[in-house]
Amino acid sequence: MKTATQGQHARSFDERVAFLAEKAREVRSRIVDMIYKAKSGHPGGALSAADIVTALYFDILRVDPAHPRWPDRDRFLLSKGHACPVLYSCLAMRGYFGLEHLDTLRQFESILQGHPIRKTPGIDMTTGSLGHGLSIGLGMALDGKLRKKDYTVYVMLGDGESNEGHVWEAAMAAAKFRTDNLIAIVDRNRLQMDGCCDDIMPMGNIAAKFKAFGWKTYEINGHDMAEILHAIEKARKGRGKPVCIVANTVKGKGVSYMEDRFEWHGKCPDADQLSCAMKEIWGEDS
Amino acid sequence: MRPHAMTPATVPTRRAFSERMAEYGAIDGEFVVFEADIGYSTFSHLFGDKYPERYFNMGIAEGNMVSAAAGMAADGRVAVASSYGVFITMRALESVRTFVCYPELNVKFLSSHGGFTPAIDGVTHQATEDIANMMTLPNMKVLVPADTWSSRKLFDVALQTPGPVFVRLMRDPILDLYETSDSFHMGGSHTVIEGTDVTIVTYGDIVFEAIEAASILRKDGIRAELIDMYSLKPFDREALVRSLDKTGALVVAENHQKRNGLGYELSNFCIKNKVVPFENLGLEDTFAECGSYRKLLEKYGLSKTRIADAAKRILRRA
Repeated sequence: MKTATQGQHARSFDERVAFLAEKAREVRSRIVDMIYKAKSGHPGGALSAADIVTALYFDILRVDPAHPRWPDRDRFLLSKGHACPVLYSCLAMRGYFGLEHLDTLRQFESILQGHPIRKTPGIDMTTGSLGHGLSIGLGMALDGKLRKKDYTVYVMLGDGESNEGHVWEAAMAAAKFRTDNLIAIVDRNRLQMDGCCDDIMPMGNIAAKFKAFGWKTYEINGHDMAEILHAIEKARKGRGKPVCIVANTVKGKGVSYMEDRFEWHGKCPDADQLSCAMKEIWGEDS
Repeated sequence: MRPHAMTPATVPTRRAFSERMAEYGAIDGEFVVFEADIGYSTFSHLFGDKYPERYFNMGIAEGNMVSAAAGMAADGRVAVASSYGVFITMRALESVRTFVCYPELNVKFLSSHGGFTPAIDGVTHQATEDIANMMTLPNMKVLVPADTWSSRKLFDVALQTPGPVFVRLMRDPILDLYETSDSFHMGGSHTVIEGTDVTIVTYGDIVFEAIEAASILRKDGIRAELIDMYSLKPFDREALVRSLDKTGALVVAENHQKRNGLGYELSNFCIKNKVVPFENLGLEDTFAECGSYRKLLEKYGLSKTRIADAAKRILRRA
């Protein structure tokens, strides 16, 4: 079986970081383009997660796009499912399905639904109703332990999503069952749909909360590829505890007029905004 | 009447189901059970005692339990999630709907304390809307055993049926009706008493009230046919139509809200396929209350005399 990491690890660390940064640029451009064509979608949280999800699909995850249900694969759950344009971009770029599908986002009979579903190649589980992903990931991690498989389950959560009590039910259970094959990554972009997290529902120190539940925690800059790779590498080596990586990010990262603005949680750019975004993502000369 | 006599049940259906579940642990080595801290009440601990590595007590957190069971079942494993009906079908309803029914995963629900069978626990623990919630969900199948043998057999039916299955169980033992020669299947029913004048359809605990109601009716010269509709979704259309062709009148009695229970389901079917005089017994847009099971049966219109009265009422109309 091929893995995502094959070929990547032959490169130096700096080369991996540079490769991922370039991939993330393409992922960002596809996110904005896809949402523009769909005339609907959630760019802000997809862009804040773009570097992490790119690092997962182009370096970290042990997956085989030709065999999406390969039993030994690493699992990835986008619990903040509304950010799915980032996931769909990575899956298409990895060859799970043709790039042409990206133009069908949210349309009737598209394989790319408004929130991820299990029927789409490469999607491990339906997600998007917030707060459930960590519970589902816990179930998958327990399944891996029972089967004595060495796969890792990655769950990406939003910081707004963490308002859901369900997240903390899963947090306490994962600590109880010592699922050290479960890695939660919190996209800490500090905005939620109605405004700043600190105004809508302050979450305080999320890493400290997970730590108090019995998790190993790391805090990183979620746009720094080197930090992302280092943190996940450390997380994978951890034993006896589930791991939470709180990734500090900027909502709308990479498109200046979207950055740190909650209005862009679920808004579609117009034609001028699209071309402006593309220029910013690719550089003025493109 | 069936050829064999009924005997007092020594165990409630929740225990009979769990006893079979514990046996099943040896049949399927991958089968897992999730519990939400009432394992000594649902008797799921019987499985956990034998297979601790495949028994996950998730604490008092039913939503997480069901979503985690979905994750466990995502790659082909069969899981049972066990709790009381109120919690599975309401607190965890979204997990059941979106993460079990929508992806059609192999999660089965051991749902104890159905209807007001936890009578003395009060309304907080009585599941009188569970059937409505579960019947509404696409891909969900709904079973309700009445006694020990049917609980064991319906465990097997649930496990042999691909996808989500909800099994409502009750708190206390009543009577044993079925013998080991009786078979059960998805979409099946048992005609417990054959008759020609009125059809009584029920399930679970109310089967036993209905048997006595049929005796009362016989004294008045009315021959009631009694169907134990243990498979609510899908239900046995052939058996219903066959019976109504004979009797031309239908009483549905259930320990549940009248609204959106089996009575609504069958009346909807009858309006389209076979219009007959109809009576529906159950909770009339009300909660029950705390008290003895027997008192609640009387007050909320599900006792043998109330069922017999309903049959007489519609026969006057027929």
